[in-house]
Amino acid sequence: MTEHASPEVEYRIARLRERLAGDDVAELGVRIELRGATVLLTGSLATADRRDEILRLAREELDGIVVRADLTTPSADAPDHGEQLS
Amino acid sequence: MRPSTPMSPGGGDHVVRVAAVGDIHLAPGCEGLLRPAFTKLPECADVLLLAGDLTRHGTVDEARVVAEEVRDIGVPVVAVLGNHDYHSDQADEVTRTLGSAGVNVLEGQSAVFSVGDHRVGVAGAKGFCGGFAGRSAGAFGEPEMRAWVRVAHVGAERLGSALEELASERCDVRVALTHFSPVPDTLAGEPVEIYPFLGSYLLAEAIDSVGADLAVHGHAHLGTEHGTTAGGVRVRNVAQPVIDRAFALYELPVPAREAA
Repeated sequence: MTEHASPEVEYRIARLRERLAGDDVAELGVRIELRGATVLLTGSLATADRRDEILRLAREELDGIVVRADLTTPSADAPDHGEQLS
Repeated sequence: MRPSTPMSPGGGDHVVRVAAVGDIHLAPGCEGLLRPAFTKLPECADVLLLAGDLTRHGTVDEARVVAEEVRDIGVPVVAVLGNHDYHSDQADEVTRTLGSAGVNVLEGQSAVFSVGDHRVGVAGAKGFCGGFAGRSAGAFGEPEMRAWVRVAHVGAERLGSALEELASERCDVRVALTHFSPVPDTLAGEPVEIYPFLGSYLLAEAIDSVGADLAVHGHAHLGTEHGTTAGGVRVRNVAQPVIDRAFALYELPVPAREAA
């Protein structure tokens, strides 16, 4: 049987979302979802430092809950081809 | 400026090459992140479009980082601001800072430049949210609700008037540049429940009523790149997390001019 988190977790996740969207962090591009008894963060962040900062805040806000992250940083390389629009 | 437009790979028609990216969210500490890729722009593009959310908090210090990434890059740079760029209530200062590096920041205005023998126009406005046809907010009820919806209408009107400027300028290629999305197509991947906060059908209505060859936007980090308006105008979500490159590149054919 899948283990489920307590209802309180949903409110803690909501608080984390608000904290990330707040003045000092201003990060709106991370999806935070409850997956069974764990919380999963997904999304793409500008830099690796930013990714580490977001993960630190999540683990701080969700202390006691297992936090998993699949946070990426986008490539900063130029494209090797363009899209031809006919 | 390039001396002439390149030929399309298919032969015959000329093309205008548009590079575009949004949501780069730069701040002190990010210096030089995109500059190496941007220095390659003169080899592959005729213009760079920045689709808003260039900063994290909309501060002048952050805007300076953006400005140095694109300063003297070798192609015209045209931008709109995004919601992040307004967060510190310094949008005018951010605009001036970007302008000092040669970035043409549009909000209800247009920019026209030459690529070879052709005139290329960009109509820009941030736009706003509000939702899409059949699932949008209405200007009814509390003053706050009516004001919110009014902002969406004003944003679309600004885009429409900028596109009309391009029509009167007889541009060969016209691009609509916004931060918020004009269509739901390019939001696929975002939670459906937040679509009303990611764009407005009013922007697509403005694009379709005046006409454009391409519409470019950002804002939806979890969305997808490709979409079209109801009128068939190609829409591209160039948020950097979506395109996963320093910029996306689009090659638009230049239609043959009618004989005078």
